Amino acid sequence: MAVSAPVSALQASGTAHELFAAASMTRSQRNSSIPTDWGMFRRDGREGWSLFGPRILGVAGLAYDPFNPDVLLLAAADGVVRSEDRGRSWRLTTGWRIADVRAFAFDAGDPLRVYAATQWGPIRSVDGGRSWESVAEGLPVRYSQTLVADRIIPGRVLLGTESGIFLSEDAASSWRPVNSPPVTILRLVQSASRPALLLAGTEGRGAWRSRDGGRSWQPVDPGSAKANLYAVAIRADDPDVLAIGGWATGVRVSTDGGETWSARGAGLPNPWVQALAFDPDHPGRLSAAVHEEGSYVSDDLGRTWTFAGLYGAYGHDYAFVPAASR
Amino acid sequence: MFWMYQMVMVMTAGQGRLSTANEQRFDELWRTYWPSRGDTENHWVMYYASLRIVSQLRAGRPGAWWFNGRSSDENAAESAAYIREWIRVTTTQGQGEYDSPGYIGEYVVPLALLAGWEADPVRRDEARRMIDYLLFDYAVDQINGQYAGAHSRVYPRQILLPGATTASALGWLAFGVGDRLQNAQAVVLALSGYRPPEVLAAIAQGAERPYVNRERKRTRWRIRHAGPDAFRVGERLTTPVYKYSYVHPDFILGSSQGGLLQPIQQQTWNLRWRVDAPSQASNTFFTVQPHSSPYEGTMYFTFDWDASTDVIARSKVDYDSPDKLASGSPYEQVFQEGPALVGLSHIPPGARFKHLSTLFSRDLRDVVEDPSGWIFARAGAVYLAYRPFVAGQWKENDWTGLLRGGAGAWISSAFDTWGNGHRVLVSEAPRNGYVVQVAPARDFASYDAFQSAVRALPLSFRLDRGPEVAFTTLSGRVLSAGYGEVPKVDGRPIDYGAWPLFDNPFAHEKVGSGQLSVSHGGKEFKSDFRSAADANGAKQP
Repeated sequence: MAVSAPVSALQASGTAHELFAAASMTRSQRNSSIPTDWGMFRRDGREGWSLFGPRILGVAGLAYDPFNPDVLLLAAADGVVRSEDRGRSWRLTTGWRIADVRAFAFDAGDPLRVYAATQWGPIRSVDGGRSWESVAEGLPVRYSQTLVADRIIPGRVLLGTESGIFLSEDAASSWRPVNSPPVTILRLVQSASRPALLLAGTEGRGAWRSRDGGRSWQPVDPGSAKANLYAVAIRADDPDVLAIGGWATGVRVSTDGGETWSARGAGLPNPWVQALAFDPDHPGRLSAAVHEEGSYVSDDLGRTWTFAGLYGAYGHDYAFVPAASR
Repeated sequence: MFWMYQMVMVMTAGQGRLSTANEQRFDELWRTYWPSRGDTENHWVMYYASLRIVSQLRAGRPGAWWFNGRSSDENAAESAAYIREWIRVTTTQGQGEYDSPGYIGEYVVPLALLAGWEADPVRRDEARRMIDYLLFDYAVDQINGQYAGAHSRVYPRQILLPGATTASALGWLAFGVGDRLQNAQAVVLALSGYRPPEVLAAIAQGAERPYVNRERKRTRWRIRHAGPDAFRVGERLTTPVYKYSYVHPDFILGSSQGGLLQPIQQQTWNLRWRVDAPSQASNTFFTVQPHSSPYEGTMYFTFDWDASTDVIARSKVDYDSPDKLASGSPYEQVFQEGPALVGLSHIPPGARFKHLSTLFSRDLRDVVEDPSGWIFARAGAVYLAYRPFVAGQWKENDWTGLLRGGAGAWISSAFDTWGNGHRVLVSEAPRNGYVVQVAPARDFASYDAFQSAVRALPLSFRLDRGPEVAFTTLSGRVLSAGYGEVPKVDGRPIDYGAWPLFDNPFAHEKVGSGQLSVSHGGKEFKSDFRSAADANGAKQP
């Protein structure tokens, strides 16, 4: 999941979550630049999904204010689209300078401070997503599609760029590179229960792990060392359970914190995995977005998979959002 | 965004004539349907010009009335700010989707909306002058209405019927050149009330030829892999495009430097010769190094690396086909001096396609494959000589059958009327190249005399390294280059660093100018885009 949020009172109380998926229906797209459907979809049954929010091309992710999950942010090609009433109404909160937004992260110390990765550089809001400014100054490369705001330390942000991971310790006002592979970082996640643990999926260099809060990184899983990994996930209640997925890689799972890995994609219709997420309400349940096949779910860490709807989808991300507060 | 300008056109033209039910339906759609802003500059210009007009037509509406939750005032201001920025960038750094025979319409139409229906007279005038700017850009690079030389984007049909394009339709409407065509985008321009300055028509109609036209454009915005030549414009990265056209009364030979200048549909160079019925002619000649790659796809699009080629080919169906006619290539280098042109290629083993395709259209006559290695042809009142460095084999156009078999309306509709009868010389070698020499037939006593003159021209090349080439043209200029090095003319490196925004007999503008001064035959016009809209109190973006 691209959403990195501090542990809020809602989460701590065990509030149930709703599952959302950003997807474009490309399987039947022929002689057209437009998918047959697209947007943010909310799961409302075993295989049922319904469009949630505006039907915007290039929706890549969804985030919520950890202290008020009625406040939602959509990451879209057109910019940031924000709702204050859990999706009943929406407002585009970015202008023409900002496009191709891919992921959000709320600051651990200030829920009004939000960061976003865009393919033209990182942006920041200091008013809960109502307005945004570029915070790319000082970055040698600006392309980014994933980021993490540290769950514990306010103002600490890790940004995955076209050339490795950059760290800010002053709320994205300045950046410095960390010891990471100098390739495009496709996905970054931080463990909910062991915040020093982070996992990164890269373009062409497989999976990398950090045990020191993102200061240094080491490769894991020789079996996917040259893969493009679009999906990485860490089980919220057990930081030793990791999952990665990518193009021609299927799903690979580690239950020992990344020391050993097993292929767990045999039950999927193809090995092209674009997103993964552990379900916070069903420990061990893993969802996988399989290229143009849809969403699949496993309750045994990928040994078996069950179709879960969204057939034909090019999946971009999953998001679990606490159920409606009222 | 394509939906938007047509909606706005109906709303403007239909003011006072539409039923209440229609008006209510329009309002409902503007509230519930989220039109995409798109991913290219033409998309954005259409989007914001349309949003600007409809925000004025529905002034004072609150955010809840609009699809994006922003009020009419907010949408109007945002639209004006972007359009201002696009004009600033285009008139200082060159257009990104430059000189496209089809996509010129996607710029002229939104500007026509603004020129015709924008409420602010300052912005309305600025839009009108920006149409002048684009049409001047077209006028100096066209022959009988046909856009010629390097194009940012062009579809197969437009390549093979270069006089049946939106550019040609605009040329007939604005300047009376070429054939009259049925074209909805030209209709929008006509409805706007726009009239071009007289001096543009005189230029378009061909006075003062021959001349050399140089233009500095830029690539589409590069998201990744921007490269060492990239420069930043705000949040975006781009690299320079250096255009050169030799514009003769009987033909135009025009080129860019080659490379990945656009993600799809790039035409690096072409020859266009004068014909009597331009809308029906296939008067084109060019070479392409077909290329497709995730590197290119992710350079210009937001797609994932592994899916990018497939996703592009979902709409630009020929993108990943070896017989495609339009492509940029990172393995090509082209330069030109007058009516002579040199192309070099160095294709690595891992490249998707390893050949050069040279199109010999069905309109060429008396093609001669000379034992010297030169290939000669008559192109209307023009003689053409082409010398591939590595011999090729002849194939029919669309040899894979992709377009013939039906590849969607954009790409292949009515293929039988424009796609058949053309031959392609396919030359495959890791190091390769070619030389082109063009001359007006009137300069020679006979076709044989032209051939003899070309055979006698000094030409040397080597493919064991480089490739390298040295060629002395019919006019005695020496073109020389080694692949990857700055080409030389008469021993002097081409000065790309000083390439002007426009340089031709009618206008001279440096990069960064923000102005256009055109003069010809005692007539002139001047446009200054640096501050006009700002003077009206608009917020700077």
